Amino acid sequence: MQNQILYVWYLLTAVTILAALLVVLAKNPIHSVLSLVVTFFCLSAHYVLLNAQFLAVVNIIVYAGAIMVLFLFVIMFLNLREYTEETKSNFAKLGAAVVGGVTLVAIIAALKKVQYPMPMRYDVRTGFVETLGEVLFRDYLLPFELVTVLFFVAMVGAVMLGKREKGERHF
Amino acid sequence: MLSIISLSIFGIVNLFLGFLKSRRILLPATLLFLIVALILNSMDWNQQALYFGDMLRVNNVFVNFAGIVLITALLIVGISRHFGNDEEHTHPAEYYAILLFSVTGALMMIGFENLIMLFVGVEVLSVAMYVLTGTDKRNIRSNEAALKYFLMGSFATGLLLFGVAMVYGATGSFKLGGIASYVQMASMYGAVSPLLYVGLLFLFIGMLFKVSAAPFHFWTPDVYEGAPTIFTAFMSTVVKTAGFAAFYKIASTAFAGVYGFWAQSLAVMAVLTLLIGNITAAYQGSFKRMMAYSSISHAGYLLLAVVAKVPSSQSAILFYSLSYSLATVAAFGVLMAVSESRQFEGRGDDRYEAFNGLAKTNPLLAFVLTVSMLSLAGIPLTAGFWGKFFIFSAAVQANLTSLLVIAVLMSCVGIYYYFRVIIAMYLKPAEGEGISVSAGFTLTLVLTTVLTLLLGVFPDVVKNIF
Amino acid sequence: MNLAILIPLLPFLGFLINGLGFRRIPKAAVGLIGTGAVLGSFAIVLSLFSGFTGTAQVVPVYDWFTVGDFNVSFGFQIDQLSLLMMLIITGIGSLIHLYSIGYMHHDEGFGKFFAFLNLFVFFMLLLVMGSNYLVMFIGWEGVGLCSYLLIGFWNKNPEYGYAARKAFVMNRIGDLGFLIGIFLIVARFGSLEFASVFPAAAQLQTGDAGLFWITFCLFIGAMGKSAQIPLYTWLPDAMAGPTPVSALIHAATMVTAGIYMIVRSNVLYTLAPETLHIIGWVALATALLAASIGLFQNDIKKVLAYSTVSQLGYMFMGLGMGAYTSGFFHVMTHAFFKALLFLGAGSVIHAMSDEQDIRYMGGLRKKLPITFTTFLLGTIAISGIPPFAGFFSKDEILAHVYEHSPLMWGLAVFGSMMTAFYMFRLLFLTFFGEFRGTHEQEHHLHESPLTMTLPLMVLAVLSVIGGFFNVPEILGGTAKLEQFLDPIYQYARQANPEAFAGVHLDHSTEFMLMGVSVAGAVISIIAAWVIYISRKSVPAPDEQVSGLQQVIYRKYYIDELYDAVFVKPIQALSRFFYSVVDKGGIDRFGVEGVGRFVKGLANEFRLLQTGATGFYVLMMVTGIAVILVYSLRSLIFG
Repeated sequence: MQNQILYVWYLLTAVTILAALLVVLAKNPIHSVLSLVVTFFCLSAHYVLLNAQFLAVVNIIVYAGAIMVLFLFVIMFLNLREYTEETKSNFAKLGAAVVGGVTLVAIIAALKKVQYPMPMRYDVRTGFVETLGEVLFRDYLLPFELVTVLFFVAMVGAVMLGKREKGERHF
Repeated sequence: MLSIISLSIFGIVNLFLGFLKSRRILLPATLLFLIVALILNSMDWNQQALYFGDMLRVNNVFVNFAGIVLITALLIVGISRHFGNDEEHTHPAEYYAILLFSVTGALMMIGFENLIMLFVGVEVLSVAMYVLTGTDKRNIRSNEAALKYFLMGSFATGLLLFGVAMVYGATGSFKLGGIASYVQMASMYGAVSPLLYVGLLFLFIGMLFKVSAAPFHFWTPDVYEGAPTIFTAFMSTVVKTAGFAAFYKIASTAFAGVYGFWAQSLAVMAVLTLLIGNITAAYQGSFKRMMAYSSISHAGYLLLAVVAKVPSSQSAILFYSLSYSLATVAAFGVLMAVSESRQFEGRGDDRYEAFNGLAKTNPLLAFVLTVSMLSLAGIPLTAGFWGKFFIFSAAVQANLTSLLVIAVLMSCVGIYYYFRVIIAMYLKPAEGEGISVSAGFTLTLVLTTVLTLLLGVFPDVVKNIF
Repeated sequence: MNLAILIPLLPFLGFLINGLGFRRIPKAAVGLIGTGAVLGSFAIVLSLFSGFTGTAQVVPVYDWFTVGDFNVSFGFQIDQLSLLMMLIITGIGSLIHLYSIGYMHHDEGFGKFFAFLNLFVFFMLLLVMGSNYLVMFIGWEGVGLCSYLLIGFWNKNPEYGYAARKAFVMNRIGDLGFLIGIFLIVARFGSLEFASVFPAAAQLQTGDAGLFWITFCLFIGAMGKSAQIPLYTWLPDAMAGPTPVSALIHAATMVTAGIYMIVRSNVLYTLAPETLHIIGWVALATALLAASIGLFQNDIKKVLAYSTVSQLGYMFMGLGMGAYTSGFFHVMTHAFFKALLFLGAGSVIHAMSDEQDIRYMGGLRKKLPITFTTFLLGTIAISGIPPFAGFFSKDEILAHVYEHSPLMWGLAVFGSMMTAFYMFRLLFLTFFGEFRGTHEQEHHLHESPLTMTLPLMVLAVLSVIGGFFNVPEILGGTAKLEQFLDPIYQYARQANPEAFAGVHLDHSTEFMLMGVSVAGAVISIIAAWVIYISRKSVPAPDEQVSGLQQVIYRKYYIDELYDAVFVKPIQALSRFFYSVVDKGGIDRFGVEGVGRFVKGLANEFRLLQTGATGFYVLMMVTGIAVILVYSLRSLIFG
């Protein structure tokens, strides 16, 4: 059982990384967005493996469902199928690859000796809405409430910035 | 605690005030809200309390930092003048509301006791800043700055979150106390998990980005220059104060046990910040851009106090933040007045030349800016001198001699570019008419100047509180 | 409340009144307030002085600030040294304020001028009255600021602005040294109060390494403020300010702050003979260099400025020999005659309708009799002719120098010969011979009003009799000043008794030394007489000067050297950072690779901007990579 889960995990992780890379590398924006959807599905699968069923569902509904559809709509409306010409020089790409690679290698090398403790016990209820609600409304009540301020700022800001105004310059 | 709650409510109230016909009420209302918050804040004096299951710690340090942030916000609102006279296109109610919300975020960053709170606070403050940066919608630079800030800020937030996750992985706790006790125990047995080290670095990098320390400062000049000046003033004061309050708190409590691990890299970054900030500032043609680099350099001085991590560091950071905020608000206030009335290439002139002969046309504004520049340069009898003095003495206590030498040298470079504007004001012939400013605006600026000078002569008055 | 607090407070009040209301207060009242404030301080200082019992006293004003258990109070120290300095500052200060009423009468910035002048007196008093190094430093910075404001007072001319900035920057370099010195003192003694540092220092050994660095850093501060090599070039340029400013700040008071500071810290210096050695040689070099430049200058104020630099060199030479009293005595006499000379020059410039070039003067003796007489007395005093003030003070220094090293003495005497030469050259060219200016100027010539001549007369009297305050025993005196100042050397004497053994020369040697220096001065005067009176030669116009003379006239190209060695490279570095980090890096990064993709200018800009964000992020990630690899090196490679 343990081993099978491990195989699933490896498979999922490989797909996730591939899809994430595609998001960045794809030349067609629609392909990018679709790969992002795949990535989100894979992440939801990870949540399931981590015993967080509710989060997995929410992730699909909110990200893969609502946000990604919005993205697709926008791209189609703006007709961005014609991707703009490649603007980065090879030198820049090489630099970015080297720097990113070094960072990755450094993190992996640094973490190679970490001892991850095994979970104490397995409780199927951990990922239920009920448990989550208890944690959110008891232990994390204050940040939970204050996140509303964050959303408020984001909402007000988005409306304000998005509203077209008289005399606005179009460029 | 009450101050945080009241500010989030006041922000919403402000939005509703926006429905009223008369927009004249917004400025006094916002001032009133901030004053109420300041009073509520001072009522927490000498209260030691942890709220909501160790989420927020209210003590005198909180009251002090929050006081500085609130006073700065008050002064900035005082010079906001309804955000220009072009009222048809602006949304003052929204601006003020977002301003109040962002102060809420700042207070969260100051009082957090749990990394989740830190993250939410950072996000509230940052998102508010992204929006405010882009509010000058008809200005392409403002749009560009907002986008740039947003992209890079999200990147930094990602790093911060990554760091928080790893620290949690290593210690099993989001609480500062929990992390601190793990770090202490683990370092005693020499078994600190590498996860903690990596997480700590990412956490620090995220914070360093927010306070614009090198090499994570690249966004600063572009964003500061592109944003409307009033919000640049807000960004360079409130964000910096809150950022350093949070940074020092996390470095001195949670990660105090592994001081040896982070001190050296942070020292190198402090030096880098000082060098880049000061030397590049010396070669700017635009006053606003110079102020951006100067704010980078001041982050370098503040980092010095964090690296020192001696008991007096905290009061040094407090005093420095206060003196820096006062001087910066004054500088940007005068810049606003000048660049609005003098045009260059179709927009507000923020070059040094705009200040030519200001001493003749507007002696008061020139004096305010002079005191502000003297304070930023750290000339005695201004608050800025004592700020630098306390930071340097903290560095002396920590035996950071070589760092100190660089900092002192760089503060000499600072004199050069701060004095350029003084020279322009006093020694260059005047161009253009005098600038007329409202009474409230003048009053606010004079207040900052008086406070700067008072703190310069009687530093102990405030120092004893900190 | 102690009266001492009023001393700096009065000028400060004057500054506030004149500074806040300088457009509204009538001119007569401005002058009265400004002069009255300083005169009031002078009266208080006099009463303190007459009631002085001989024991030093610290007047606490308030507790300034506390860092940990390190506490600094704002307090005033009233003792022999500070009292004498206060007398000089307020005494000469009131005379110069009085003089300014006449001199600045036509200036539109009359009120501003008096406000700055009062502010200067305030800071200068803080400097000398402070009971610890920090109050001294506040005064030190404050006088620097006032000097900057007053040099650039006539700010219509951008040259003057640059002069002001130069003065400020050079002073800041010195101040940096001073500040580091202060930090070192804190680190070493845990206090800044004179009353606790000096007794603690007295317990140390001579030649202590820490003390060397402390004294050396403090001396760097003194170099800046008191215009010693290499930080002296600002002082001649500072002559851009109004003449009363040159007299008060750049001759009588501020520039002697460095000497005051060293005399104040005599314990530390006595225990650091290496620093004294350095001071001695730097001072000698300064004295000679400045005197030689002075030989060929044609601007009346520039000559006096180089003469000031050179005389400051003599004062430091005295200090370098450990003869603190001699150095300080020269500060006093120099304050008298140099203030007199500057004010006299001001009177000449005033009469000549702002002409400063001595090549266009001449024969002013008859038109300006009072100015001429007083200027003559001042010139004799500075040249060291007995029994005028300069003779006594300079001779004392020279005697100490001889005891130390006859070679240095020889050079110093050579310097004083140059002094006599250029001073009399100045006198002869200005007041003798034919008038060489325009008719308009000649028509306009007039003696200055009483407000200007009265200070001249008072100072002339002081220049004549000033030397008698400290007549050495060999000449039948009792060395009053030496006895009076004795208590302030108490700790230094305790720490290193040999340093205060006094001059061991026998009488015949001393008389010989005096004879040589007086003879030297007389020879120089005769030479000047022969060249400028008998042969009636007038210095050539600028373009005809050549050879060595050109080098000297151009001040040995020191300014150009500094420009090439310091200013240009820093500018270049700054430009480099600007172009590489701020512009070039991005440009090159974006543009070179993109090159062939560039379609139009607009597009290029857009591409550039997107490139910029990418570049920023790339730099950030590079930073992250470096930090990670560096910080985690033991984990990664271990």
